[in-house]
Order: sequence, then structure tokens, then C-alpha cells
Amino acid sequence: MKQRLGSILTALALGLTAQAQTPRLVIGAVYVGGVNDYGYNRSFHDALTQVARDVPGVKLLEAENVPESGEAERVMEGMIQHGARLIFPTSFGYQDSARKTARRHPEVCFEYAGDGAATKNFGVFFGSTQAAWYPMGVAAGKMTKSNKLGFVLGLPIGYALGNVNAFQMGARSVNPKAQTVVVVTGGWSDKAKEAGAANALLDQGCDVVGMHVDSPATIIQAVEARGAMSIGFQSLEARALAPKGWITGLGFTWTPFFTRIANEVIAGKFRGEAVYQGLGQMVAVAPFGASVPADVQKLVNAAAAKVANGFNPFTGPLRNNQGSMVLPNGATVGADQMGDMNWYVEGVIGKVR
Amino acid sequence: MTTPLISGVLAGAILSGTSLLYATLGETIVERAGIVNLGLEGILLIGASTGFATAAATGSAWLGLLVAALAGGLANLLFGWLVVSRRANQLASGLAMMFFGFGLSALVGTPYVGAVIKGLPKWRPAWLAPLPWVRNSTLFNYDLLTWMALPVAVLVWWALFRTRWGLGVRAVGESPAAAFAAGRSPGLLQYQALGAGGVLGGLAGAHLSLSLTLTWAEYMTAGRGFIAIALVIFSKWHPLRAVAGALLFGGAEALQLQLQARGSDFSPFLLEMFPYLLTILVLLAWGGARRLAAPAGLGRTFYGSE
Repeated sequence: MKQRLGSILTALALGLTAQAQTPRLVIGAVYVGGVNDYGYNRSFHDALTQVARDVPGVKLLEAENVPESGEAERVMEGMIQHGARLIFPTSFGYQDSARKTARRHPEVCFEYAGDGAATKNFGVFFGSTQAAWYPMGVAAGKMTKSNKLGFVLGLPIGYALGNVNAFQMGARSVNPKAQTVVVVTGGWSDKAKEAGAANALLDQGCDVVGMHVDSPATIIQAVEARGAMSIGFQSLEARALAPKGWITGLGFTWTPFFTRIANEVIAGKFRGEAVYQGLGQMVAVAPFGASVPADVQKLVNAAAAKVANGFNPFTGPLRNNQGSMVLPNGATVGADQMGDMNWYVEGVIGKVR
Repeated sequence: MTTPLISGVLAGAILSGTSLLYATLGETIVERAGIVNLGLEGILLIGASTGFATAAATGSAWLGLLVAALAGGLANLLFGWLVVSRRANQLASGLAMMFFGFGLSALVGTPYVGAVIKGLPKWRPAWLAPLPWVRNSTLFNYDLLTWMALPVAVLVWWALFRTRWGLGVRAVGESPAAAFAAGRSPGLLQYQALGAGGVLGGLAGAHLSLSLTLTWAEYMTAGRGFIAIALVIFSKWHPLRAVAGALLFGGAEALQLQLQARGSDFSPFLLEMFPYLLTILVLLAWGGARRLAAPAGLGRTFYGSE
């Protein structure tokens, strides 16, 4: 029912927007949620809207709330019929649908937000956030008074554990007493549990809360209501949700990469590649909140610059929070190996299950 | 400053139990009238999204609350038209209503995803504020729905067990033919029960979006409607036992989050399973007791007196 309704609406939306004069490039974007979520989907919407404004002759077709099923394939086919020559399947679960559609349409270029192999007309990209959480930890470590930081995780996947670990290491680098307490909700979008998790962390005396869930809105607002501080994730706009407690956050800045790809497709020079970029390229530090003193801002910016210039916090010797050595002296975990991470670093309170 | 585990769990149980209790009370009334509404999840979603959309569009959470209650009531009346007037199968119609609720709530809510609303105002009695273990938790800092949860449960109990209307509703649930022979109108009573139950279901959804999370996201109820249906059975169709049930189920969720925040090794999955194990135990222990049995006419269609 929901899917049927979705496809009717999509068809309607495509039909309505198809009647303009011929543009140089039609871009199709497929989103798993609504674009106004202060989170993941909005980051893509904002960037592609910017590309459509900046690059002359680019038209954007968008489909929201597209399930990660065969439905996604039909939506992409519909976009191609309406002239799309560059398609952004923006959710990890679109992999199969996108690859199938790309094989059927060698004339259409794809940029998929996920991993796996790149082919001639199929590029793969994502922002590496793990090391970028290190300067967030610096901010939290300086701002906390209780030395207890909280972190709400949707699911304990390797990429998410990497975010937590870098956060804790950043906090430790400026505050040797800092600890990070992790609460896992068990889903990327279980809002009521996110509120409960934030409250549980504040009950335990955490005064700064970070998160890795689809949309940070519920957690940031729950933390703000109790007078604590938050570090946002997924969108640079979330500051509006916490006028008092906002410290800073991480968001995605896809615009430069998307602009480059759009120009390549227009010039007929597109070649699918795997592109993973971190802080300073696809990932950016959000503006600071009013309560953050200038010296803390300076420290955070310095740490961010260090990461952008190649500093990898995941460099041995590192012990996990059970006390055993997980990275010997000099060994590193690269951005491409984050998916396999299965430990919390020293100072994190929580257990990987 | 850390709060003791017990007050943290209690605070969490009350916050997440509020919507469970309203939904359970609503379904209890409906089932007492002999109707199973498996579409409760959809009713909750409709309440959550219409309430949030109204609050976002008008700036008034109170108006949102009102619209959520009306929308929940209307959705249940539509269900009533199917199963009472058209005598459709209740289980099939309930599932259809659930999917209808998914679609409708998404349609209504989508333009307001990400909207920032001012939620229902919260109020804590001034004489409690100086206590540190109260001040540092969410205890006693509640919106109207949470403050009214217990009184509403008593009201539902009173209406079902101490009024002529309640006697009629329960008679219809046990034996519509007998109620009809006694001069009551089974259809009318069932519609009334559905309307009241729908209003409570709408309020349950509104508590999630207008107070607890201050957001709308598709399928944000995450199964709470089905937990409420289980709670009706757990509480053996009794509004006051439903209070204990809602606190227990809400408490299990709160306990696992609180234990994680304390760095405990206890498996959160085991804790989440606990209320359901308890439901099975309740069914095993008292399932056969006549006094605690389901309404005899539950789920059966009344074809009139011919």
C-alpha cells in the first residue's frame, strides 16, 4: 500500500517536472527518507540543489522515501525515461537495484553512496567520518565539566564504532579524565528509544552527547531540554535545534564532488571510480555554538586541520577498553578498513555485542 | 551528578509507558465491546503524524493534540463501518487499517519531516524542584498527557465497570445477541467504544510526536501499537492492570538503556524479551480462569437477531 502510493506519487512528480525545455544534463536523485530530516537525506538534497543552481543547464529530479527494494529500480528507470543521464542512489541498500539498472543502461552514469567495485558507468563514493570525529572529541573534552561524554549509536557497525573511538581519543588528547559512555538503540530511526537513550546518558551525569543515527533532531532536542550540550552529526544545519547547548558537529559537504561529476558527465569524460574523502573534502565541521570559548574553537580547528592534512588517530599503540592491545606500535586502521572494526578504545564505557 | 538506577528506570518507564498506556486503554475498551483492532499501530501513526503536522503548521501543540484525538477517533469509526456495518472480517480489516495508517500518516507527515515544533508544555510542582534526585532527572516534569494517564485509566475503569454504558459495552462483548434481546443496540455501543478507543489511540501517537521525540519520522511508533495489543492480553482486559503493564513494558525498555549507560554487561536483547516472556507466563498461569478470560464474543461478527 505504502509502496504503491509512493510509486503513484513518484510517477506524478516525474510527469509534472518533465515538460521543461531540454537541459544539458538531467540528474536523478533517489532518497531513502524525506529530504527535510536535518540529517542524511537533507545533506544530499542541499548539495544537489546547489549543483543545479551553479552548473548551467542542469535539471534535478528527486524521489523521496524510496524503499530499498525493487521499487528503487523502477524509480531509477522512470528517471532515465525522463532524460536523466546521471543518477545518485544515495542509500547503502540501493546497491543491487542501482547496479542492475546501470548494467541495462551503459549510457547513464551512476554515483552510488556506498562501497563495492566501480565500473565504467558506476562510481562509488562516501565521506569518511571516523577521523573527523577526533576534533569533535577535542571540543567535547574541553567543554565537559563532569568528564563523562555520552554517545547514542543506532547499530554497532564498524563505521559507527570508529566514530565513537575517534571521539574518545580526541577527548583524551585534551582531557585525560574523559570517558565516553555508549548506548545502542538497535535501529537507525527509533525515535522514542533515542529520547530514552539520551535521558539515560544524562541521568548518568554525561553533560555532552554525540550521536550516530539517521537524524539527530530528537537527541539534540532531548539534550537541550535538560540543559546539557550536544555535538551534531549528518547535517550542518542542526544547530537550529539547540540554541543553548550546541557545541559543534559534523556534516557532509558533497557539493564540490557532485559539481565535478556533473561537469564530467556533461563533457562526456565520466569514468566510474571509488572516491572516499574525509574532513576538509566531503566532511566538514559545523559552525560553533555561542557558548564555545575562542580558545576551544582554536584547539578544535587545529585538530581538524591536522586530520585534514592526513593525521590518522587510529595509529598504534592502541588498547581496547578490555585492556588488550589491538593495534601494535605503528600499525594503523585506514578509512577503508573501518567497516571491520569490532572494538572500543580505552576509555569508552560499553561492550561490542 | 548521577541519578540512582531506580529513579532513572522509573522516569524512563513513565515517559515511554505513557503512550503505551493510552493505546492499551483504547484497545481495552474496543475489545471489551467484542472487537479486535489489529490496526492499532496505524491509529497511533495517524495520531502522531496529524498531531505533529498540525502543531508544525499552526504553531500550537494543543491544536495538534486535538486533531490527533479526532483523527484517531475517525480512523476507528472507519474501521467500525467495515466490521460493524459491513460485517467484514475483523482480523483482515484490522491489518488493512494498519497499512492504511502507514500510508496516510506518511502522506500527511512528509511535508513536515524536520519541522521544529514547540512541544506540549511540561510542568513540575514547585515543591518537588529542590530535591536533587528529582531536579537531575525527568521525574515529575510532565506534560498534560502524562499527568492525566493515571486519572484516565481510572476513568476508563469507572466507565466500563460502574456505569450502565459500560455494562452494555461488556454485554455486547460477551454476547451481542443477549445484549440485543435486553434492548441494547450492539452496533451503536460498538461504534461508541471504537470512537472512544480511537481517541485514546490518537492521543497515544500524539504523545510520541508532540512530547517525547518532537519529531515525525515514518513508522516512528516502531511496533508500540502491537505491544499495546499484547498489553491488553497481559492486563486481562482490565484498565487498572494495564497501568502496571504499561509501566512494566516501558520499564524494560528504560532499564536496558539505563544499564547500558552504566556500562553493565547485561544483554539488552534479553531485557527487551522479558516483558513478552512475562506475557506468556501470564497466559499460562491465568489463561484458563473464567473470571479473567477474554470477552466471549471477541472477534465474532454479530449478524443481527434473525
